[in-house]
Amino acid sequence: MDIVAILQSKPVLIGLHLGFGIIGIDAFLWLLGKLKGDGGSRKSMVITAAIGVAAFIASWLAGGYYYVAYYGTLVKPIIKNGVAPWVHNIIMETKEHIFLFIIPIAMTVLFITLLKKEDMDRLRLRRLALWLAGTVAVLGLLIGAMGFIISATVRWGAIN
Amino acid sequence: MNKPKLIISSAYAAIVTIIFVVVIVIWAEFSGPLKDWLKNFSGHHWTSKSIFSVSLYAVATVVLYLSPNKHDDDRLKRALGFLLISTVLGAIILALFFTGHHFKLF
Repeated sequence: MDIVAILQSKPVLIGLHLGFGIIGIDAFLWLLGKLKGDGGSRKSMVITAAIGVAAFIASWLAGGYYYVAYYGTLVKPIIKNGVAPWVHNIIMETKEHIFLFIIPIAMTVLFITLLKKEDMDRLRLRRLALWLAGTVAVLGLLIGAMGFIISATVRWGAIN
Repeated sequence: MNKPKLIISSAYAAIVTIIFVVVIVIWAEFSGPLKDWLKNFSGHHWTSKSIFSVSLYAVATVVLYLSPNKHDDDRLKRALGFLLISTVLGAIILALFFTGHHFKLF
């Protein structure tokens, strides 16, 4: 089995999707702390936001590949024929589309971090930047929770 | 680089992208031909929505940034406030839509 085949395998894709998602959430929570406490340099804020954006893009690609290649044929039928078909109809449908909001919002937060501290204070953007960074983290956490519900449903659907 | 203008451009592009996603998702649930077209475009409806949403965000950001409109400080705060509200509303609308759709309310 070569490296490409390993990367395309189902457990690895799920792991990459989740792992990069966690890094993205952590990065934006870290940025939230920096904005709240006015700590760290501008460069450190830019790097933190850039890591968050890159991680969410990687999570999107890994999760998207898994979703397109495997979910519809292997996972969805188990959920739809199990005890909780609403998990696909409501949770998965909402999750896969809300994910599309994250990159544009995260990019906007990244652009805000490019401002000098004095410009951010002069424009009185700190509070809004804090809210937007928090929104990215909360969306990420919600999507993670939805992913957990979907995975749990598949496990119980397979057992039942 | 005009950073405030870049932020305003990105914020409005993100709002347009969120509106696009909400509209195309709901529309495609009621329109078989649209969903088929999305599937045929890339092989999967979600891949097509991803491609279009990212492209729309990128193009709208560049076009707005290069447009001759001048920015002011209030407009910058307003754009970020609208983005915050659009994100929350977009997420709620999609969750409520799929809940209602599942229970065949519409």
